[in-house]
Amino acid sequence: MAATSAPAATAHMECPRELTSTRRVLPFGVVLARTSRQALRSGAMWGLIFGIYTALQAVAYTLTYKTKAERLALAKSLSSSGGLSALTGPARDLQTVGGYTAWKSLGLLSVIGAIWALLLATKLFRGEEDAGRTEVLLAGPTTRRAATVQTLVGLLVGLVALFACTSVLVALIGRARDVHWAPSASLFYALCVSSGAVLFMAVGAFTSQLVASRRKAAAYAGAAVGIAYVVRMVSDASAGATWMHWITPFGWIEELGAFTSPSPTALLPLAGATSLLVAATIWLSGARDLGAGVLRERADARAHTALLGGPVGLAARLTGPTITVWVAGISAFGLLLGGVANVAAKSLEASPSVRAALARLGGHAGLVKSYLGVSFLTVTLLVMLLAASQVTAARREEATGRVEHLLVQPVARARWMLSRLALGAVAVVLAGTLAGVFAWLGSVSQHAHVGFFDLLEAGINAVPAGLFLLGIGALAWSLTPRHATACVYAALVWSFLVEVLAGIGHQSHWLLDTSIFHHIAPAPAVSPQWVGALALVGLGALATALGVARFSRRDLAGS
Amino acid sequence: MAVAAIETVGLTKTYAGIDAIAELGIEVHQGEILGFLGPNGAGKTTTIRLLLGLIRPTSGTSSIFGFDSQRQAVDAHRRLAYVPGESSLWPGLTGEETLHLLGRLHGTLDAAYRDELVERFAFEPTRKVRTYSKGNRQKLVLIAALMVRPDLLILDEPTSGLDPLMEQEFRRCVLEAKERGQSVFLSSHMLSEVEALCDRVGILNAGRLVDMGTLSEMRHLSSLTIQATFEGTVPDVTRVPGVSSVVVDGHLLQCQVHGPVEPLLKVLANASVHELLSREPSLEELFLAHYGALSTRPAASTAAIDAD
Repeated sequence: MAATSAPAATAHMECPRELTSTRRVLPFGVVLARTSRQALRSGAMWGLIFGIYTALQAVAYTLTYKTKAERLALAKSLSSSGGLSALTGPARDLQTVGGYTAWKSLGLLSVIGAIWALLLATKLFRGEEDAGRTEVLLAGPTTRRAATVQTLVGLLVGLVALFACTSVLVALIGRARDVHWAPSASLFYALCVSSGAVLFMAVGAFTSQLVASRRKAAAYAGAAVGIAYVVRMVSDASAGATWMHWITPFGWIEELGAFTSPSPTALLPLAGATSLLVAATIWLSGARDLGAGVLRERADARAHTALLGGPVGLAARLTGPTITVWVAGISAFGLLLGGVANVAAKSLEASPSVRAALARLGGHAGLVKSYLGVSFLTVTLLVMLLAASQVTAARREEATGRVEHLLVQPVARARWMLSRLALGAVAVVLAGTLAGVFAWLGSVSQHAHVGFFDLLEAGINAVPAGLFLLGIGALAWSLTPRHATACVYAALVWSFLVEVLAGIGHQSHWLLDTSIFHHIAPAPAVSPQWVGALALVGLGALATALGVARFSRRDLAGS
Repeated sequence: MAVAAIETVGLTKTYAGIDAIAELGIEVHQGEILGFLGPNGAGKTTTIRLLLGLIRPTSGTSSIFGFDSQRQAVDAHRRLAYVPGESSLWPGLTGEETLHLLGRLHGTLDAAYRDELVERFAFEPTRKVRTYSKGNRQKLVLIAALMVRPDLLILDEPTSGLDPLMEQEFRRCVLEAKERGQSVFLSSHMLSEVEALCDRVGILNAGRLVDMGTLSEMRHLSSLTIQATFEGTVPDVTRVPGVSSVVVDGHLLQCQVHGPVEPLLKVLANASVHELLSREPSLEELFLAHYGALSTRPAASTAAIDAD
């Protein structure tokens, strides 16, 4: 008897051509392609920023210190300041463009590079594991160690992009007549800038094996950066502690002597430490359970429900530790600024052109206040970074879907969003205020004679920029949630670069107005412009209101 | 007449010009359990997210106990609790902390019932969420939803990850909720679960409601798949009442039976049956049999509706 119906059931299915072909995706390529794509984009972007920043410093030097006498005076005045060395690293060969550029750029960029690298590494290792994507990939024909190697190679692609973009831009500016450094020197400088990122990328990869959450892995690696930086500061501040240079990666980077006295020997400890960390990462990734860290955590924990009564309390519970670290770090930076202000100002007094430039900023306020006025722009930058991180953290709650557990309760979207932003605002106010208070404490310890209220004002003066960025971030988050993080950091980086550009010479007023920093008076060198500051806060509040209104009416968006 | 627990009118959600949900009109009565069936990508989760106000409709309205899902979301949420199929919770909180938080947010926590549920689901609340398996995370959100004794439970594939024992416990809890007068909207692709719990069933396919009614009204869906292996010749069953989709492959016969199986068994009894298997058709088979013509959503659109 023949089949009478549904002939398709017995007929052989003809496989589509693409299924019968033997085209294979090599296992090695899967993880590598994913990680290298992310690392390449990020590395190239930061390489461009590093290159532009370096180029701007070189140009600023050639425009500010035009004569040989001025350059020698600058070198003489800054070369023996222990306090200033602690902050910025030792000043070597400041009579040359390269020496000045390395002094102004290398310390800052190597720290930023280290933080970028550890965040990227922990994201691509532990972040992927937290999200469950690593598990899916490991179900394929690969092993944990092979996947780790692929991720490391992907990260290396990001580092190469960082190095390449930095070196190209630095080499280009080196061709300028007034700058004039050799391409090989540019390459070596880019290598020095990138070497901090190389080592701390390995640190991030290693801590991702130690602990079972991305936040903790990043915190551990961040603590390593902090310790390394403090050790470097101590070694630079005291003549008797120069040996300490050799126990901190930032000391090794200084020893490389970019643009001054190149000494590739210092690459050895960097390469050695990186190799050890990479080897340990590969070995540990195969030796531990997926989803767990080498350091065992207690699965049980006592319930702490004091804060868990509403969205505000939950936000405080979730972000409290991070905010505390930020505020403590910014306060410590304020203490340091106050502590070195006297010494730094005395050193600068010897340089007529710098003295004149600072006097332009501070009028008759005195060099210490003028110096603090310029330095407090860094506090503003840190406060803005804190604000940006709060926007990113809030957006992450939406991207991961966790916020849905709150928003299906009787909790209005506006209430939840405002509670997150309010917490960020409190953190910004606290950070700025404490930076001022601790700067005063630092200045008192060195008899700098700067008034408490002057420095308190200077700290509070940093707050409007942070609140404005918080508002801009809220608006970007509500309008284009998947690009919110990029938008808020782009606004920050743009403002910073325009501010650096402003230091070089006369720029278009329109361009300067696009920088948030341009609307912040350099207190305590001059009195804060409270009207302008209030306008900035008002605009931030307006942006927040628009953002909250839009967020209340749009679809929630996952990652 | 009592206001409906859920009511949607012409509810439509469009992504990039493609309807994820089209002109959806459903009503869940108070004290009723409504099963919401459909294959992956049918639009079940999209419907739930619209009901919860997490996404905005392109057109149409939906309400929970008369409260508009979008404009009066807070009032609506006071009356409901939701269990998602995939839970992304705060990994640093313990189970107990999570239950405390969600209970406080809802405001109507029944602490004694919470403790009872923790015991019934054999849940360990002292552990951190990051250490829970998928099944334990699902238990956590189930307990969180049930413990506030909401007027309406919205459940989106709630038993995914649960073992059979816990599935049974879940069914008992839902039936108890119904006895107390709570309403339940149960989205699932598990026919057995829906059959065991639901008063009425709505079937969604390619974003459209293709059938809605009580289980007895939808009896036509409950066909059996019969597979028989014969030692000799396969008998002709094509004229047997209720039999369809007959396929013969050598000594193997496969067919579908709608309604009583007795006429078919009589025919088979006269043949030398070596092996006889019968099973309920999968939901997929039902869709292919009854709604194949409607399953015309292009592949691209299914991919676009990733929520489902």
